[in-house]
Amino acid sequence: MQEQLIQIQSDALAALEDVKTSDALESLRIAYFGRNGRLTTVMKGMRNLSTEERPAAGKLANEVRSSLTKAFEDKVNRLARTRQAQQLEEEAVDITLPGRKPLYGKAHPIMQTLEQIETIFKQMGFQVATGPDVETEYYNFDALNTPAEHPARELHDTFYLTDGHLLRTHTSPVQIRAMEQQHPPIRIIAPGKAYRVDYDVSHTPMFHQVEGLLVDTHVTFSELKGVLTSFAQQMFGKRIRMRFRPHFFPFTEPSAEVDISCTVCSGNGCRSCGGTGWSEILGAGAVHPEVFRAVNYDAEQVTGFAFGMGVERIANLQFRIPDIRTFYENDLRFLRQF
Amino acid sequence: MNVTLNWLKTYTDFAYSARELADRLTMLGIEVESIKQLGTELTGVVVGKVTGIHPHPNADKLLLCHVDVGDDAALQIVCGAPDVREGMLAPVATVGAELPNGLKIKRAKLRGTISHGMLCSEKELGLSNDDAGLMELAEHIAPGTPLAGALGLDDIVFELEITPNRPDCLSLIGVAREIGADTGNPLKLPEVHLQENGGDVRENTSVTIEAPELCSRYAARVIRGVTIGQSPMWLQRRLESVGIGVINNIVDITNFVLMEYGHPLHAFDYQKLAENRIVVRRANRGEKLTTLDETERELDTTMLVIADAEKPVALAGIMGGEDSEITNATCDVLLESAHFQPASIRATAKTLGIHTEASYRFERGTDAEGVIPALNRAVQLIADFAGGTVCEGIVDVYPRQHQPIHIELRPERVNFVLGTQLEAGQMHDILSRLGFHVENANPDKYRFTAPTFRPDVTREIDLVEEIARVYGYDKIPTTLPKGNIPVPVPKPTVEIHKRIKQFLLSTGMMEVVNYSFCGPGSFDRIRLNENDVKREGLRLQNPLSPEMSLLRTTLLPSLLENARHNRNHQIDNIALFEISTVFIASKEPYRVTGILTGKVGGGVYEDAYRHPDFLDIKGIVEGLLEVSGINDYTLAKTAEPTFHPGRNAEVLLGKQHIGIFGEAHPEVLKNYNLPYRAYLFEFDLDALTENAEPVKRFEPISIYPKVQRDIAIVLDADIPSNLPIEFIKITGGELVESVRLFDVYEGEQVLAGKRSLAYTITYHSGTETLTDKLVNRVHGNVIKRLHQELGAELRM
Repeated sequence: MQEQLIQIQSDALAALEDVKTSDALESLRIAYFGRNGRLTTVMKGMRNLSTEERPAAGKLANEVRSSLTKAFEDKVNRLARTRQAQQLEEEAVDITLPGRKPLYGKAHPIMQTLEQIETIFKQMGFQVATGPDVETEYYNFDALNTPAEHPARELHDTFYLTDGHLLRTHTSPVQIRAMEQQHPPIRIIAPGKAYRVDYDVSHTPMFHQVEGLLVDTHVTFSELKGVLTSFAQQMFGKRIRMRFRPHFFPFTEPSAEVDISCTVCSGNGCRSCGGTGWSEILGAGAVHPEVFRAVNYDAEQVTGFAFGMGVERIANLQFRIPDIRTFYENDLRFLRQF
Repeated sequence: MNVTLNWLKTYTDFAYSARELADRLTMLGIEVESIKQLGTELTGVVVGKVTGIHPHPNADKLLLCHVDVGDDAALQIVCGAPDVREGMLAPVATVGAELPNGLKIKRAKLRGTISHGMLCSEKELGLSNDDAGLMELAEHIAPGTPLAGALGLDDIVFELEITPNRPDCLSLIGVAREIGADTGNPLKLPEVHLQENGGDVRENTSVTIEAPELCSRYAARVIRGVTIGQSPMWLQRRLESVGIGVINNIVDITNFVLMEYGHPLHAFDYQKLAENRIVVRRANRGEKLTTLDETERELDTTMLVIADAEKPVALAGIMGGEDSEITNATCDVLLESAHFQPASIRATAKTLGIHTEASYRFERGTDAEGVIPALNRAVQLIADFAGGTVCEGIVDVYPRQHQPIHIELRPERVNFVLGTQLEAGQMHDILSRLGFHVENANPDKYRFTAPTFRPDVTREIDLVEEIARVYGYDKIPTTLPKGNIPVPVPKPTVEIHKRIKQFLLSTGMMEVVNYSFCGPGSFDRIRLNENDVKREGLRLQNPLSPEMSLLRTTLLPSLLENARHNRNHQIDNIALFEISTVFIASKEPYRVTGILTGKVGGGVYEDAYRHPDFLDIKGIVEGLLEVSGINDYTLAKTAEPTFHPGRNAEVLLGKQHIGIFGEAHPEVLKNYNLPYRAYLFEFDLDALTENAEPVKRFEPISIYPKVQRDIAIVLDADIPSNLPIEFIKITGGELVESVRLFDVYEGEQVLAGKRSLAYTITYHSGTETLTDKLVNRVHGNVIKRLHQELGAELRM
């Protein structure tokens, strides 16, 4: 009997080795553990043994059964693992196939830049104010200390309407409208479209500007520098250097043009910055007393500063588009790039 | 305006390099737009001394010269110029030089003899038209000196942007004064010592000002017996270096003084002036004058002329007349120095389209007190370089004396405005260097007189700016605002715009931005009715082109144009939108407008490309209304000629039209060369914003299970698909949570004129678990009702 058990064990283990499929495994299991299986049959023969033989044979029989049971279980697991590995291998995909990209649109690059600018100033407490594109001479020029015979008017080639209105040449009229409607403290930015008779690689007849205005009881030129420096660092990076240089605008005094170190050459001088190492980004200055007078503010009681920047210019410091008119062609191959 | 480094140095001392000077000027508010090195075209040309001349072994007309160019060994140069002689100094173009006429100098064999360069004439060097012989140079120059340097041609030109408020800086002296304010060095003005031997000027001429409102001052001098000829080389070089053409000594001198003082002068041929006198008056209407540019000008009474006893001889402050110009025959000169009213000069120059160096300066405002120094300086130069005798004295008519401007300055205010802590003394220093004269020494409240050349400075803030820019903007501290931040006012408009834009982007549409302009042709292309108010766009007086002559009243033409552009570039999946204002009468309402044409879909696998249809655009419109929080709208077909008559709908809120969408009319497609059907929408964004529900409220979500039943019904094909939904909802009442159409079928399986519509009805209760019994009863009622009201048969 003991020999029989040993034989069964070694036969079963050998047979297990050759099993390749779960069906074969099941047949093999039945061949040994089934009702008439070899192991079952031998176990049934136990009861014919003498009382002396039974304990030793019983012990061996149990050992054989449990070791075979475990071997069968291992085989089940091994087969399952093999099957899974095989399945995973079969399921491999061509990773170069194009993905199912969800469709998504993109905001126009000018609008992306505009939004960036707005976000920065909003964080500094500025609110968005708006005004009409079709303006009067009064709001666009006179109230901004640019009377009819002022030479500065020639700097703006203005589109006039047949009804005597004009297309605003800058978003600065919103300054005046805001000050007419509210009292200091005022902190606004006025994004919008502006228009000038101009059409070449660096000018479009319509463009976007962001005007800013801060008026309070004691606003200083140094604060103008602070706000614009903070803006430029957020917009162009911490390492950017700033330059404020004197300039002339009729509606601010002192006035400044503001440059940042060239984003191409970091200030060493290159073709993009005309060798100067600087790129102009905006105009600014302390609000001129004549502008306060136009809105009935007392220039002794309040001071302020204003600034204005061209969104296309700011955008192009980043994008470097050789012909700025490309922004308005709305070519999808262009728009998809941003 | 152009200035040069060497020229500037004659008026004030400074040690800046070109780059440093450019930086300093820029930081003073005079932006340097470019820096150009002169004389580079003469690189490789040096001064040579002819040390020996020998005959050429193989040619009679050539000579072998030995030329000392400062090196150890003399160069052997073959020369054909007959005037070459031993000991002379002449320019030598050495091997490697490229002359202005394009000639490259190489080591060459001439008739078998090697030549190491070329001796040059003025013409060969592009210095003049003189090719009579070699250019002879002054003897004291050391051989080997670069020619550009020897001739003073190695100057550096700065192109300056002078802001319109600074007419004083349209001159070398003005710019030098600014440099002096920076360095603290004094200004060195030219010295004038006139010998006036020509008899009293008053016996030679007279000046009458008949229009003192346009001419506040007119001064004249007379110089007799001048010799017209070339001006001296140095003067020619100066003018050429700043881009002014050389004419003759008299004209060159007036131009030189114009650049030097910024004060335009005019020289008349004294003998050509009727009665030898000057009348400053308005032109008569229709009066004619032929100006120096050989153009006959018709004048009117707004224009100021300089006339003699009979006729206009110059357009005041703008351009002289041809009849009285300086010619080679001129012997006696009347020199004008005057002050004209800026606005009048600007208006005349603009009307006649003449813009000159003179008008440019008079328009911006010249210095009435600068009239005499400029006049005297020019007369001195004429006496020096054109000979002649200067008549004694000046005829100076000055009907409107310049009134000095006094300005009070509170140093404390300066610091208040700038955020600085400057000393009063510092401010005083800066202003003095700029030519401001202090009248009292009270450091709490100075009183300054503005120099007459600064018409731009009239008030305290102007002085603040002067102090700030000379002190240096870069030294003003950088601080953050200390004031209160105003309480923000919420703007629901902005919020809705943002939501709509986000939604449209999420559908795959791309945002475009177009010009606000359109042309009348665009209204025809979208087939607007003749009487459509949208045709009444605001009109530009000065459009860039007819197609940009109106302001947009609708965004549709722009988007169709964008589609055309992209289609022309073989781009087929076109889905665009724009959010912008349009211009209707005096209002600027917002529109959101979109176009869908060509292909939709991802283009891969089961999401293959297909052409969009009405339901694509409608889906976008539905989403747009949903994100705007607008639910109770209705649709109605319209006869808008832009759209396909059977495939469009306007969106109504009650009776208010808030938008339209649908398929573009085939004629519109043709007008924009679009090969595929196109789908459009245009919404009144302000109406969406006004009716939007900005506040969203929570609706409880039922915890009970829902029951879905599908039905397919067959009914007349002309019954709109939403009608069954209405009846289902009415019949099912509160238990019907939603009804969704999921299939439409027309074809063989149903009778002609009928169609099958399939809906999923979701029954749901917020208070109980629905039993089959209840749902069956309600669902049965629904089917019965659909049959009764619409003749719907259940499709099996």
